[in-house]
Amino acid sequence: MTHPIVRTSTALVEVREVIHELTSRDQANEVITSVHHTPSREAEWAALPEWVKPELAEAYRGKGVLQLFSHQAAAAERIRRGQNIVVVTPTASGKTLCYNLPIINSILENPDTRALYIFPTKALAQDQLEELQNLGKRLGNAMGIFTYDGDTPSDARRSIRQRGHIVLTNPDMLHAGILPHHTKWTRLFENLRYVVIDELHMYRGVFGSHLANVLRRLKRIAAFYGQKPQFICSSATIANPGELAGRLLESEVEVLDKNGAPAAEKYFIFYNPPMVDRFLGIRRSYINETSRLAQEFLKRDLQTIVFANSRLHTEVLLTYLKQKNPRAPGSPETVRGYRGGYLPLERREIERGLRSGEIRAVVGTNALELGIDIGSLDVAIMAGYPGTITSTWQRAGRAGRRKGTSCAVLVASSRPLDQFIVKHPDYFFGGTPEHAYIQPDNLEILVNHLKCAAFELPLDPAECFGKVDLQALCERLAESGYLHRSGHFWYWTQEAYPADTISLRSVSSDNFVIIDETDGPEVIGEVDFSGALGTVHPKAIYIHGGQQYHVERLDFDERKAYVRKVDVDYFTQAIRYTEVKKLVVEEESTIPGPAARAHGDVLVRSQVVGFKKIKFFTLENVGSGKLELPENEMHTTACWITINRELLASLPFSISDRQDGIFGLLYALESVASLLLMCDRMDLGTTIGEGNQNAGAEERDPHTDLPSKSREGELREFFEPTLYLYDAYPGGIGLSEPLYRIYDSLLARTKELIAACPCEKGCPSCVGPAGETGERAKEAALAVLERLHP
Amino acid sequence: MNDSLTDRFFHISALRPAVNKIPEAMPGLRNSTSSERLLQLLQAECLCNRLGKHMLASSVFPGPGLTEVDFDTLRLLAPGADSSICDPSRWLLLDTETTGLSGGTGTYAFLVGVAWWEGNNLKVQQFFMRDFTEEPSLLFEVAQRLAERPVLVTFNGKSFDWPLLQTRYRMTRAGNIPEPQAHLDLLHPARQLWRLRLKSVALAELERNVLQLHRQYDIPSETIPQRYFNFLRGGAPEPVAEIFHHNLMDLRGLAALAVRILSILEKGNGCGAEELFGLSRILQRRGNSIQAGETYRRALDHGLPPPAERLAQRELALIARRRRDYELSNALWEKLLGDFPESMKAYEQLAIYYEHHAREPKKAAELTCEALRKLQEGFQAGRLPSHKFRQWHGSFQRRLDRLDARIMKPTGD
Repeated sequence: MTHPIVRTSTALVEVREVIHELTSRDQANEVITSVHHTPSREAEWAALPEWVKPELAEAYRGKGVLQLFSHQAAAAERIRRGQNIVVVTPTASGKTLCYNLPIINSILENPDTRALYIFPTKALAQDQLEELQNLGKRLGNAMGIFTYDGDTPSDARRSIRQRGHIVLTNPDMLHAGILPHHTKWTRLFENLRYVVIDELHMYRGVFGSHLANVLRRLKRIAAFYGQKPQFICSSATIANPGELAGRLLESEVEVLDKNGAPAAEKYFIFYNPPMVDRFLGIRRSYINETSRLAQEFLKRDLQTIVFANSRLHTEVLLTYLKQKNPRAPGSPETVRGYRGGYLPLERREIERGLRSGEIRAVVGTNALELGIDIGSLDVAIMAGYPGTITSTWQRAGRAGRRKGTSCAVLVASSRPLDQFIVKHPDYFFGGTPEHAYIQPDNLEILVNHLKCAAFELPLDPAECFGKVDLQALCERLAESGYLHRSGHFWYWTQEAYPADTISLRSVSSDNFVIIDETDGPEVIGEVDFSGALGTVHPKAIYIHGGQQYHVERLDFDERKAYVRKVDVDYFTQAIRYTEVKKLVVEEESTIPGPAARAHGDVLVRSQVVGFKKIKFFTLENVGSGKLELPENEMHTTACWITINRELLASLPFSISDRQDGIFGLLYALESVASLLLMCDRMDLGTTIGEGNQNAGAEERDPHTDLPSKSREGELREFFEPTLYLYDAYPGGIGLSEPLYRIYDSLLARTKELIAACPCEKGCPSCVGPAGETGERAKEAALAVLERLHP
Repeated sequence: MNDSLTDRFFHISALRPAVNKIPEAMPGLRNSTSSERLLQLLQAECLCNRLGKHMLASSVFPGPGLTEVDFDTLRLLAPGADSSICDPSRWLLLDTETTGLSGGTGTYAFLVGVAWWEGNNLKVQQFFMRDFTEEPSLLFEVAQRLAERPVLVTFNGKSFDWPLLQTRYRMTRAGNIPEPQAHLDLLHPARQLWRLRLKSVALAELERNVLQLHRQYDIPSETIPQRYFNFLRGGAPEPVAEIFHHNLMDLRGLAALAVRILSILEKGNGCGAEELFGLSRILQRRGNSIQAGETYRRALDHGLPPPAERLAQRELALIARRRRDYELSNALWEKLLGDFPESMKAYEQLAIYYEHHAREPKKAAELTCEALRKLQEGFQAGRLPSHKFRQWHGSFQRRLDRLDARIMKPTGD
């Protein structure tokens, strides 16, 4: 039974109606901070290239593809010519055809041809499989098209290795399942002509640095079988797709970013929930506002997708919307949830329901942001800023049919990033999406992959593996018992299979396992080493899946934390003492102020020395404790700003106000830095150093992970404070040098953030929550910034 | 700034020494001395071929020879093979010692032992790479032996040793990958024959409990990779010499096991009940149901432990039914009625008999009712998984409905 759908030919009237209603209610433009209009765009067509084999042209015709969009034709030609390319186009612009067409064509020309498609997730590979198999069927099933991942049954694997013309997999499987067994994949490697890397923008930071190394391994294995495959990437819009692709592939890559797909008229609305307490900077709940807005669209029968940033919020929003849109007796549910953790079959059913229009609203997490085919909807609403401009556009792109009017709404939370974005629509719409950075030569990551590489094929010291001195590294690995030199080559000399212990999602495999002992021991998760001491120290309250756990004990040597379920009204916040020591200054220069900026290698020593218990909602401090935990040392990279003594001394503030200002400034700098670097806030660490002591204490709220000011150091005067922003991963993942380069916009944006914040004396959206920071923190921070960036 | 800070490698956890113990490094001493001493210890020689050199240790064992093997018997082990495999002088026993068990391209077979019968003697050759550079010549030599004797005999070689060697040939490109004419992996028949009696069918267990062979001294096999790694780094040769001995023992055990298994398969003489049971299963799997039935009967006569006894009764009943020996099959099914996992089959088969052959629908209905009751009890007591329950329940219920309908109109048919 299908839901009676009354589809209007265009959603134009309804969308405009809602926008009109919203804007007329908000006279002061405080709530609706921007209504951005994108006019519709005509398609740019191109003919199917002449070299396309008739049966393939026929197959595409059967799917309704009679001609190509201009970017598809351009990409197909480049691929045909053997070039490495990266195609950058928005959601739903037909990017898969760009590579499927030339690759399938070349398989039809020579059935020995093999191609490997790499997707960041299993779900995406599955989605592509259906699309490809549909094509395959139209071509008389002459091609083997398979996914190969952790779910592939073992009896099917053998046949896939032999018969797969196109094998769809993910980086983790390539790393741990395919490369270490390349002799079983002889057929594939001996004929490997194409490697497709989809959703390239996903490979940034740690994951990207790993992938670059996995690709280094892939290339050397392909070379062993006499192949040098061609790479084809696709990416969402980021600032530096060519640079990212170049660093990942370590070869020339041409960027194709002229979109020829048509688009309908579209509105993008920034919505800032109304203030309820101007002094504390408190706004109405953005979750409630999101659900209210969604309902405005839903009651006009506009198909709507709602994005939340966490599983918990997904469930909350789903509950609200289901209550307001109860299921009619005898008909299927019209409001559905969609997130990781749902079963594949259920996901497929939801995707179909969305395409057919039976499902009117879906509430999901970023799982829906990627290229899953759910068709196009009328409205996309985001509860909270997704963290990056790229991913905001991806989500917004879910709304937008070929005809009619669509609408995207961003509902801001009170986090600094959200507030910055909604108050600076120019920044967002000005066409400066984030850069994606990776550091393939991060030694921690590189050495791990070097081990895998040695396992796969003995290492030749003359080989090129990043810019490291391979010979020196091999010698070190030999001293540690991993390698042994025999003749010209280095051989793997361990029983263990190295890929098994190396995860592509973290820098080192040194993780703490969290064991719930409430009903017999059960592993509920893992935290990586650097985060562990702050979140699972003894007596901490660890929150996982919305459930609170009390950490009973921490077995440091065994890397295990034992926890028990509890229900308490507080959370804990670790008090961390962090010290940064400069090791190597790569570059240094003076900036106005007077001040100096620099970047280079640092040693970060940190120790969790205690914790505070903070009551929910009121945020009162209801207790504390001391901890004796081992010190953690990390060699990483940092970017820092040293403020000269004269600058501070000349400011008309008291010693403690100046200090508040410096802490507030660092808080705001961190927010803006993570915005500009397209990284997670967790990827950056901050601390303040002084002269040669370079010491500072920092607390981190495990829930928001925002640093707050130390109380211990309050009475000490800073003579020459150094504000460190460091890579939070051992070895660094390439954030510090870019930060050094963009310091100008870092300071400018930080100034805008603080200056434009309507709070009086600081709030979580700018220099830190009022009450936590000093009375004049905001004022002092701005005064310092005024000098640094006049 | 101290040294550890200027050393970029100091903080790299991926460079921290591996957990297992590394002997004191003697990089300067490595090769000549320890290799020389190993050569002397084993009275081995250095073997050269066109791909390089490696070490060869040869030895001879007196032992039970194998002259001629019955083709039908062999076909139980290698169904597709032709009669040329009957000549044991064309057999090559093979066992490898490797740097790990995980497989993959970074696992090496550093010692490959092969053996064959010459008269009443077992001739053994052990090829050893003193370093990784010697791998190609070692593999080349193994390929030569296999070309001379193309019937491969191993213990678990189908899933471990042989795929590993195939990988090594691909990796080193030491010639074409040799193709054995047939591969007799004795693990599978051994499992059938002795799983019931012994908990573990590891080769050493079989030697002790079946073959009455005793290893003078032996090393735990999990220490083998590290012994070899230590040797590579210049460690003492004695721990590696013990691996040679271990490999020799494995080959001796493999030869004895081959003789024993073949004699059981050929005649089934001198076998205990459990072995007869295993033999029946092998025969049955190869489609030799007449002999399988006879052997099941012999196993039952010898007295089997309860679960195997019921299994044997069930299989024998199925074989008897196929031969339309209803007297025998019914007698067996009657014995199986009750609460056992095999009982449902027994109820079903008897119900079929009474419904279709004896034409006694009432009797069939009674049995079906009882089966449904037992099924319910078994499910509630947790003896039966729910999918099995649903499957059986559906089939019995349909049968009962059909029987009821027939009983209601007695003039039917």
